[in-house]
Amino acid sequence: MDIRKLPFVNLLRRPGRTFSLLLLTAFLALSVFGGSVIVMSMKRGLNNLESRLGADIIVVPSSAQSKVSFKNMLLQGTTGAFYMSGENLTRTLEVEGVEKAAPQLFLSSLKADCCSIRIQIIGIDPETDFIIQPWIEESCQSRLGDMDVVAGCDVGVNASDTLKIYDEPCHVIGKLAATGTGLDSAVYCSMETMNKLLKAAEAKGITHEITSEDEGLVSAIYVKVKEGCDIGKVNSAIQGHTRKASAVRTKSMITDVSDSLSGVSRTVTWLIAVVWILSFVILLIVFFMIANERKKEFALLRLLGTSRAILGSVVRKEAAVCSLAGGLTGVALSALGLFPFTGLIEKSLGLPYLTPDVSTILLTALLTVAGTVLVGSMASFWSAARLSKVDPGRVLRGN
Amino acid sequence: MKLEASAVEKWYLRGNGESNRFFAVTKTDLALEPGEVTVLTGRSGSGKTTLMNIMAGLLTPDGGRVMLDGQDLYAMKDDELSRLRNRLFGMIPQGADVLPELTVKENIILPQRIYRSRSRGSFSDDDERENEGLLSERCMSLLEQMEISHLCDARAKELSGGERRRMCIARALAGDPKFLFADEPTSDLDDDNTRIILSMLRETADSSCAVMIVSHDAEAGEYADTEWRMDGGTLKKR
Amino acid sequence: MEVRMKEKKGSSIPAIVILILAILAMTGVKTFAGPCVHEDGAFGSCHWAGQAVFGLAILIAAESALVFWRKNTGFRKGLYLAMVLTAELGILTPGTLISLCSMESMRCRMIMFPAMVVLFSLMLVSAAAGVLLTRKG
Repeated sequence: MDIRKLPFVNLLRRPGRTFSLLLLTAFLALSVFGGSVIVMSMKRGLNNLESRLGADIIVVPSSAQSKVSFKNMLLQGTTGAFYMSGENLTRTLEVEGVEKAAPQLFLSSLKADCCSIRIQIIGIDPETDFIIQPWIEESCQSRLGDMDVVAGCDVGVNASDTLKIYDEPCHVIGKLAATGTGLDSAVYCSMETMNKLLKAAEAKGITHEITSEDEGLVSAIYVKVKEGCDIGKVNSAIQGHTRKASAVRTKSMITDVSDSLSGVSRTVTWLIAVVWILSFVILLIVFFMIANERKKEFALLRLLGTSRAILGSVVRKEAAVCSLAGGLTGVALSALGLFPFTGLIEKSLGLPYLTPDVSTILLTALLTVAGTVLVGSMASFWSAARLSKVDPGRVLRGN
Repeated sequence: MKLEASAVEKWYLRGNGESNRFFAVTKTDLALEPGEVTVLTGRSGSGKTTLMNIMAGLLTPDGGRVMLDGQDLYAMKDDELSRLRNRLFGMIPQGADVLPELTVKENIILPQRIYRSRSRGSFSDDDERENEGLLSERCMSLLEQMEISHLCDARAKELSGGERRRMCIARALAGDPKFLFADEPTSDLDDDNTRIILSMLRETADSSCAVMIVSHDAEAGEYADTEWRMDGGTLKKR
Repeated sequence: MEVRMKEKKGSSIPAIVILILAILAMTGVKTFAGPCVHEDGAFGSCHWAGQAVFGLAILIAAESALVFWRKNTGFRKGLYLAMVLTAELGILTPGTLISLCSMESMRCRMIMFPAMVVLFSLMLVSAAAGVLLTRKG
């Protein structure tokens, strides 16, 4: 037994008091760490979306133009069943200033043997595609050939596996990097492969919104504008030149999302600030009350020859150890609640959600714990200072 | 080694204004010398404990000085004074205050370990262990003298009033102090134990320690070399 | 000496925690954190993983309840050890021992798997704490 062990002994032998302090600091750390990680994940998701979306303009059928479903398509990757004539692709390419145009054909409710829920199949043109193929993360061949598919990162197959769709074996040539959206569970193939899959489905008596007979349909056209051309002008030109279609600038959509995101992140930041201030005040009160309750104990330590400095260090050490434990507990609980449930959070937020990399998370955790210890120590500092001003003789006499 | 108070006084304000000073101790001189038992009696509220606290370096007087071998206690820095108190002074407080969460043994050992890491940091592990062993032995023998050795591992908060008081005495003696201050050391004890404790304090004084006892127990006077009576903040020899 | 012989007070607290977590796992796997529901009413392997987890949750709940039966240190320690192993099995069952659906976005992967891993991990930690806390004074 010596004075350096005293803070630990005090903490361990008053488990009730220690537990409530720990709970308070844990709550502080939990809210800060959890809030920060969520905001960072959303920002990362949006940045990722922005960099992945190589298109300046997206052309969709007029029927799909209601912005909501379009936003869903971008943010959540829930592609709808909407189609327009393939003629629009040729017309788009004719517009001055268009550098590239890549068509995509959406088909939902296909069943693959890996899963029993509907997965999305998206048909692309390997020759003109500049949206999907640059993001193939692991792959065994570069070109999307006949009966080849590229799988989103959440589809439970690996590159070079065979994925059976309607009993047709498809060769998985690559997997895409995570987007943090519903597109992570989509499967991409060429238009020809898609046609074959449709035929296979029809042979089994399963019908879709389109049939294998419908040649040349597209759902969306992703347009890249030539360097130096005014995207706005190109956009209106496409709008005028195509039929029953509308062109939307992706930039405006991203701006919308990033506006709403900054709103969310502002709210979270405010919440974190409020939690910190509240916790600090509560901690101040708690330490004040504890110090009052332990006045005699501390006066006795002074009486036994403990200097003000040493007594102060005992009090601060107790607070620091307790808030360190609380901070670690809070971060651990927060991590336990966040990281395993990334998919669920992504789905309920309806926004792209990509967890930051390990080093960022560790740094955040470290800063959170350090901040918690700092706040705990600061709250106790005041009590410690107040305590050591009084003559121990007076306290012990009850004056 | 001599502890001397000269013209110390302590007052408190009652109500507002300077005129409402209440003197707990009026200008008082008192000297404590090794080998002597000084007993201070008086009614409660007469300023006995205040004077003792001033002597023990625990309460800053409003006037006068307390000198230890020519050094003014209250001119020292807090750190210096605390060390000095820890090393030379033993204190048995009136309320028999203990550190409630520590065991009896830990309560007794802790004061001896407050400055260990600083003053004896250079000791080797073997010395350390030997030190620890000696201290533990000393603690147990004191507890045996106080007849509470069976409680050495009990939490201090589980003790009865009398047991606490005896523990406080053992704690004060554990550091072999040069000055021992006992504030009502026998107040929770029966006649037999009162005699045991008082003769023990006497023995301590005989081994060249200055003992100051504040008591309203008439029996304490029998063990005294000097007996004082405190009345309304003024000290009178009996 | 009687002070030393006292049973450590904390040794039944982990059992209470485990009981609560086990009940949560039991109800969860049958309600909000269950396996995928198939349109055609067929059972996938995740359904059987859910059943197994349900059984393990009942087992560990029973084990934790038994702690209150005897105050004997060896008895309690043994039970806590058994709970450590049961919880470990609970962590391994969904996904490792019994496979789940392969799409990340499916219910069994998105909710049941993480929820059960988290719950059984907490039970594992509590049971380990129980082993450590159960000792004579």
